[in-house]
Amino acid sequence: MLLAAIVAVLITMVLALIRAFLGPTEYDRMLAANAFGTKTVLLIALGGFALSWNSFLDVALLYALVNFVGTIAVMRFFEYSRPEDESGDVEDIR
Amino acid sequence: MIRLRDLFAVVILFGIYSLMTAALFMDLDAVDVAFTEAAVGAGITTVLMLSTLRLTSRWENSPAHSPVLPLVVVSITGAALIYATLDAPLLGDPAAPAHQHVAPRYIQQGPVEVGMPNMVTAVLASYRGYDTFGETFVIFTAGIAVLLLLGIRQPQPHPRPRRAAIGDQIVLRVVVKLLIPLILLYALYVQIHGDYGAGGGFQAGVIFATGLVLYDLVFGEDCARLVVPAPWLPRLASLGVLLYGGVGIVSLLSGRPFLDYSALSHDPVHGQHMGVLLVELGVGITVFSIILAIYYALSGRKVRV
Repeated sequence: MLLAAIVAVLITMVLALIRAFLGPTEYDRMLAANAFGTKTVLLIALGGFALSWNSFLDVALLYALVNFVGTIAVMRFFEYSRPEDESGDVEDIR
Repeated sequence: MIRLRDLFAVVILFGIYSLMTAALFMDLDAVDVAFTEAAVGAGITTVLMLSTLRLTSRWENSPAHSPVLPLVVVSITGAALIYATLDAPLLGDPAAPAHQHVAPRYIQQGPVEVGMPNMVTAVLASYRGYDTFGETFVIFTAGIAVLLLLGIRQPQPHPRPRRAAIGDQIVLRVVVKLLIPLILLYALYVQIHGDYGAGGGFQAGVIFATGLVLYDLVFGEDCARLVVPAPWLPRLASLGVLLYGGVGIVSLLSGRPFLDYSALSHDPVHGQHMGVLLVELGVGITVFSIILAIYYALSGRKVRV
């Protein structure tokens, strides 16, 4: 059961990675990286449970934090980036 | 697909790479290293690189020379490194020299001499106190060099975004307000709990700085400067290094070797505990102030038009 969960999370991570590479717009890439981070949190928690090492939960907590800060930073970056840097598709979504 | 000129995509992929590396460390049972990689590699580095991208340009210039020569150099170096790994002992081989030199002594004598459940902290802060002192100094020097190059300026007013700015999102503001005390508390936990579980000064300093960076990112560019003014930071960084060095001087004055914490108390194990706690505090203060100073230096600069 645990193994199945780990494999499922790993498959999702690969899918997110593919989206991060292909992603036509920045938002796809950002969302992919965010999803990848969330899956890593899950993977660490599951792995820690499988290896029965409680310290992994601390790491998982840290990952959740890091992921959040990273997403905010990326959004700020788009907000402040100069207008000529923004490509057309960004404008469309807005 | 492998050649990306979009540096923003490179930053995001770099963050993913860092998360993957941390997963690898986790697989190797190196919790402390995974901790550092997550905090430094995936977290604060992404923020700092995005701050840099904001100041420079998002798209990489086309290289002026052909990529053949660098490719040849990299291929030869890579082949040489792979050839060298053929002679290296297998991963986890108990007969490997790395596991036979001093590791058995650390494992057997560590709990008796230093008395800490987390062996990594015992080795890092006590047995290898010199190395960690050097690392702290490297961070200090690197931070001072960045400050000399960039300088912390008064923040420039940013062009107002057209609408839906991040600072105006009420949900985000409330969530971040609730989260920041927890983040700072978590940083203190990582700092002090380093003797018993994963963590220590390096990670705690980064997490503490991350909390303030988050505050700054959401509530506007100069909010964090009201909490921790920029002129404090170089002084705080020096204070951390001085605290670390001071512990060493105290043990010298007690007639023991430099950074031998047993001199700090009548009971050697108790002295070790106190020394490691003080030393980690020094590391934490230095790392925190240097990272925050670099962030201030990058975010306070005006975007070149």
